[in-house]
Amino acid sequence: MPTQEQVLTALRKVMDPDLHRDIVTLGFVRDLKIDQGKVSFSVVLTTPACPVKDRLKEESEQAVRAIPGVDQVTVDMRSDVRPAPPPPGLNLVPGVRNIVPVGSGKGGVGKSTVSANLAVALAKSGARVGLMDADVYGPSIPTILGITELPTPGTKGIRPVVAHGVKVISSGFFMKPGQAVIWRGPMLGKLIDQFLSDVEWGELDYLVIDLPPGTGDVQLTLCQRVPLTGAVIVSTPQDVALTVAQKALDMFRQLRCPILGIIENMSYFICPHCGERENIFDTGGAERAAAEWGVPLLGRIPLATGIRIASDSGRPIILDEPDSSSARAFLEISQNLAAQISIQNMKETAEPALKISF
Amino acid sequence: MPPPTKPAPVEITRAGDRDVQIRWNDGRTVVYPARFLRMACPCDHCVDEMTGRRVLQESSVPLDVHPLAIEPVGRYAISLRFSDGHSTGIFTWEWLSHLAAELGQPASAVTTPNNPH
Repeated sequence: MPTQEQVLTALRKVMDPDLHRDIVTLGFVRDLKIDQGKVSFSVVLTTPACPVKDRLKEESEQAVRAIPGVDQVTVDMRSDVRPAPPPPGLNLVPGVRNIVPVGSGKGGVGKSTVSANLAVALAKSGARVGLMDADVYGPSIPTILGITELPTPGTKGIRPVVAHGVKVISSGFFMKPGQAVIWRGPMLGKLIDQFLSDVEWGELDYLVIDLPPGTGDVQLTLCQRVPLTGAVIVSTPQDVALTVAQKALDMFRQLRCPILGIIENMSYFICPHCGERENIFDTGGAERAAAEWGVPLLGRIPLATGIRIASDSGRPIILDEPDSSSARAFLEISQNLAAQISIQNMKETAEPALKISF
Repeated sequence: MPPPTKPAPVEITRAGDRDVQIRWNDGRTVVYPARFLRMACPCDHCVDEMTGRRVLQESSVPLDVHPLAIEPVGRYAISLRFSDGHSTGIFTWEWLSHLAAELGQPASAVTTPNNPH
């Protein structure tokens, strides 16, 4: 009969390619049971949206099967999203494990469409996801997700609307259609405070925040109030957009919010008639910028009529046309994002957290 | 290129009765005298926003001024509530690091607060 030590030694050869450590050292292996030649264990990943889930399962199985005396291996793949390390001071959203703002320099780069589809993709993988539409000037999440109902009063605050498995709150819920928001900075700060502390988010693995474009009050308030796991920057590929995106990146760096990566939206266009690829806004710009700025490129999303139609009709393309190249791009980016979040949290845990005792 | 590791405090504690001690991620420990910190407040009541000139008059600050409370601001700064009622300054890690350079010596050796501006 194989020993526990033999099994663990075999599993130490299985490496997580993102975290660069083996799955035993990472503490992923749990519930190891050995009954004669039958070995069963769980591999608990840091996210249900793990891009290498299947590969890790196969490698674990093979590694254990190679031990003499083993004739049956059962691997149960599970996940437990690790929280960002707690900051000193008050935590406004204690049940939320990771807060991920999605920002841009320029407006009109598809930030809301990207945020919505990423949130739905993460939820589809099995994660508990919230989406805060903090774009007070042009809240478009309700349209993109086809939300017609309004949030209801809960026991302690506002209960978010659940759409496609995602808990959603939007400033659009609290305004009349067509009504403009003409607010000075302090009002914006108050709204963000309310969206953080007065909304019943409950337990969430990821809270995605759709920011307004630019580097203003909403971004600043957010960076001051809550520990952000890291920001995602959306840009189109042309130079003019990337130049402005760099300002957003610089703001997050100044406020010490890590950058999880860049997403290139409207990356290329595939003609539905002839199938030819056309780089309307140039292409590869975000890749060059990512290399220059030292941040990961999370992926590219094509400029596709299907995305526009899905967004306008309130059915995210990731659910409506899961096999389209656009949906696959969103899915891949959501997995890369989840991996970067795990990497970031691992890095932070290794660093000492700030202690204040005065 | 990824940015080099930026200065960040690891631990903020009291030094003596009223001074503030910061242990930085590069291993240095710096003691910031209480009144020095009050005089170095970067808020727009204390520094002219346009010119960057310090408008806070040294004579208007009580000699025994000291911080009563320190709160984190996001992950990039702290805010200090002082005994003279002033609490609007946000001291970023960059500013505190600059002030450490201004103090200019191993903090334990600093006994008299210098006037930074």
